[in-house]
Amino acid sequence: MLRLIAARGGRLLARPPGAALTPVCSRAASHGEGEASTAVDMSRPLYWNRLDTPLPDRPFKDVLNEEDTALKQKEKGPWGQLTKEEKIAIYRLAFQRTYPEMKQSTGEWKTVVGGIFIFMGLTGLVVIWQSYYVYPPQPRTFAEDWQARQLQRMLDMRVNPIEGFSAKWDYEKGQWK
Amino acid sequence: MAHPSQLGFQDAASPVMEELLHFHDHALMIVFLISTLVLYIIVAMVSTKLTNKYILDSQEIEIIWTVLPAVILILIALPSLRILYLMDEINDPHLTIKAMGHQWYWSYEYTDYEDLGFDSYMIPTQDLAPGQFRLLEADHRMVVPVESPIRILISAEDVLHSWAVPALGIKMDAVPGRLNQTAFITSRPGVFYGQCSEICGANHSFMPIVVEAVPLEHFESWSSLMLEDA
Repeated sequence: MLRLIAARGGRLLARPPGAALTPVCSRAASHGEGEASTAVDMSRPLYWNRLDTPLPDRPFKDVLNEEDTALKQKEKGPWGQLTKEEKIAIYRLAFQRTYPEMKQSTGEWKTVVGGIFIFMGLTGLVVIWQSYYVYPPQPRTFAEDWQARQLQRMLDMRVNPIEGFSAKWDYEKGQWK
Repeated sequence: MAHPSQLGFQDAASPVMEELLHFHDHALMIVFLISTLVLYIIVAMVSTKLTNKYILDSQEIEIIWTVLPAVILILIALPSLRILYLMDEINDPHLTIKAMGHQWYWSYEYTDYEDLGFDSYMIPTQDLAPGQFRLLEADHRMVVPVESPIRILISAEDVLHSWAVPALGIKMDAVPGRLNQTAFITSRPGVFYGQCSEICGANHSFMPIVVEAVPLEHFESWSSLMLEDA
């Protein structure tokens, strides 16, 4: 069907028919969700491992060999006759990972936190370098005695006397409250 | 002026600024409430063990989170408009001062009774006396009588400037060719600093405003002195 549409659109789009189909179509459909990211054909049922959406659109392995087909036949009968290994095999046909496997921690956080610290460290180096090589000398108003005089002047001028600066100074005792 | 590492507003020196402080407290409280609620919801959503999270129909909560924000906005708008109209009230000023912005200084004109005018330049850092405030001090302060309603007419002689004094709750653009009016009353004596608040060229950061509120007798002797000097 897609081939037909592609063929009709082919002349308009100046592309050969079938180009509208993604490369994944031509691969075996039962590869499931690989660990590395691959091109995914979203026009066909997908498989996924998600905690919050438990039932994907298709089973993990939908191209079955003889052994798997036989197993699926046996599944149609009474389940009490299945061995434990067979039950697990049937599960693994339908799902790539179990819930505990999905919930496994990956240790990715260590990479992230490590990366953050590395970049913070590099930034610190840049900051130290620039404070030595780039910044001009500090204005003379930053000197200790100037700051002390400034502070005294602010108190004498009653700067912010209600709740702010001078409000915290005890004028009678000559000390901070 | 601000004290070191200050985070909040300066203490109010005029009634309007007091109102603005209280309004800010009110609006910030609402902001904190909303932010806390949203943060809580985010954490709850991220840490849930539930898998059925995609309900698509929910009339009750939709009504709540439409009506509640509207109510909150009204609760913010009413005090805000109240202050807006308060600032525009007729206040029968005792004195009218003109503040003209230039590149890069302010000039003040007191022309109600006599012709008093002077320029107010920033004191450069190298000329400061020990203890003076860098980038804030000016050679001539705009002196006003305390607890008197003052009308101030603000304009500019060249480019845009803005006359701002945070402690009085005033900021008004100085637009060339336009006269902007605002008014204030200083509730307490003191010296109140501000800085030009509209980019106006190379020395935009170096044209501060200093308002000194003094008792009326001191204002009278100051203005006589300034007239003699002129």
